[in-house]
Amino acid sequence: MMVSMNSETSRQIARGIAGALLLAAIWELSARGLKLPAYVLPSVSSILSGMVSDAGNLFAAAQFTAAEALAGYAVGCLIGMAAAVLITMIPAARAVVLPLATAINSVPVVAYSPLVLLWFGMGMASKIVMVAIAVSFTIFLSTIAGLDRVDRRSVDLIRSFGASRLAVLWRLRLPTALPLIIAGMRVSTVRSVLVAIVTEMLGAYGGLGWVIYQAVLQIDFVKVWAAIIVASAISLAFFGAISFIERRYVFWK
Amino acid sequence: MSSTAKLEPQEPIGAYAAERPLIELRNVSKTFGSVKALSDLEVAIQPGELVTVVGPSGCGKSTLFNILAGLEEPDPGNILRLKGKSSSASDLLGKVSFMPQRDLLLPWRNVIDNAILALEVEGMSRTEARKQAREMLPEFGLAGFEAQYPNQLSGGMRQRVALMRTFLFKRDLMLLDEPFGALDALTRTMMQRWLLDVWQKHKRTVLFITHDVDEAIFLGDRVLVMTARPGKVKLEQVVDLPRPRKADIVTSSEFIALKKTLLEAIEEESMKSFQVSGH
Repeated sequence: MMVSMNSETSRQIARGIAGALLLAAIWELSARGLKLPAYVLPSVSSILSGMVSDAGNLFAAAQFTAAEALAGYAVGCLIGMAAAVLITMIPAARAVVLPLATAINSVPVVAYSPLVLLWFGMGMASKIVMVAIAVSFTIFLSTIAGLDRVDRRSVDLIRSFGASRLAVLWRLRLPTALPLIIAGMRVSTVRSVLVAIVTEMLGAYGGLGWVIYQAVLQIDFVKVWAAIIVASAISLAFFGAISFIERRYVFWK
Repeated sequence: MSSTAKLEPQEPIGAYAAERPLIELRNVSKTFGSVKALSDLEVAIQPGELVTVVGPSGCGKSTLFNILAGLEEPDPGNILRLKGKSSSASDLLGKVSFMPQRDLLLPWRNVIDNAILALEVEGMSRTEARKQAREMLPEFGLAGFEAQYPNQLSGGMRQRVALMRTFLFKRDLMLLDEPFGALDALTRTMMQRWLLDVWQKHKRTVLFITHDVDEAIFLGDRVLVMTARPGKVKLEQVVDLPRPRKADIVTSSEFIALKKTLLEAIEEESMKSFQVSGH
């Protein structure tokens, strides 16, 4: 079972790489052939050489952004899950909190960024808070949906063994919810990098979003593209890591 | 917990009328809103007995089971005694090993870990629980399958894992709610014979719900026929067929005679429940 999954995964990766190479080739040919100016579309080779010559800066910015995204992601996952578990244990709170959460979540999180920048400053803290907000709502809603999936009869069965509410939660509800929780976590990976970068663009002292913003001001579009490519690489790696964990540990469903 | 109070050896098993019952229900009613599911139900089960319950669908069999499993509290005014001690239904939580209709195996646990679920809830260490379960595997026809996950098993095997989970949770009373209802006829007869073997070896007290009259007679020391809603015991039929029972006993004249009596009683009730829902 495991082996077939792995060969399936490696085939997908191979296909992804082939697609990216093909895209790069078309890009390179059209940028050179049509003699597009750099502010429209710089050639892949010029972006790559820009990445190499600016590697130190880009690497530092990537580390900065990745740290914000990861920290915010971890905090957001913990808050989202904890809140969902609490709401499930206290049914009275649910009727109040759930519509409120849905309402807040329906506004793009980025709308809160000016406030968050005001409250937490231009440093890393504001980015971590923004990512945590974005991630926690997704995880909260998917955890609630997962916990609700539990079969009433299974709860009765485990209660008839004398299980306490906590034991029902730990041995039945959380494992039942796990496939949906981890699906939410997978989707949130990309979202966390995105929110970190956008918030950096609105005010920061470092990170890929800040690099992009500065490069635009300097009309250095090769650098903009270099930063974008590094950002998508981070997103992809993060997404891939969580997908790997999902396939490895959530083998049922 | 209740495992300290074992069967008292001086009580002869099967002499059900005179002895102190393991569990006794007197005057038990249960109302859901305007629906009366059970009305003045009287049931007493002696230690070591295998009692089967049949009745038309919707007669409150499952309500009876939920009360005995401690999941549902009967209406006030009832008498519920476990080993002669008056209790409320919730006192029975953790004291009865309950097997619902569906196997309800957890997909993230393999055969062994599904079987030890109740033991884990009790607080036994996994190592010890797994050891106990491993010893039982051959008897349940699951040797070599301990590391399989439920989605890799056939229906009959899943049901045996669920039964093993129930057996490992060593309680004086076992409640089996149509455990073989979802199986094909051939697998079902195999499982019935196998259950009798296991039951005779372990000498547990069993209350067994079924739709199938043949199954009720083949397995039971007594068969209780329930009335249409509100459910109560309409007929209590002693099955004095010799044990161990062979598969061909179902064609004996005694078996047929019992079946006729029971079918008549059930037929009468089924007609009633049709008339009730018909108007």
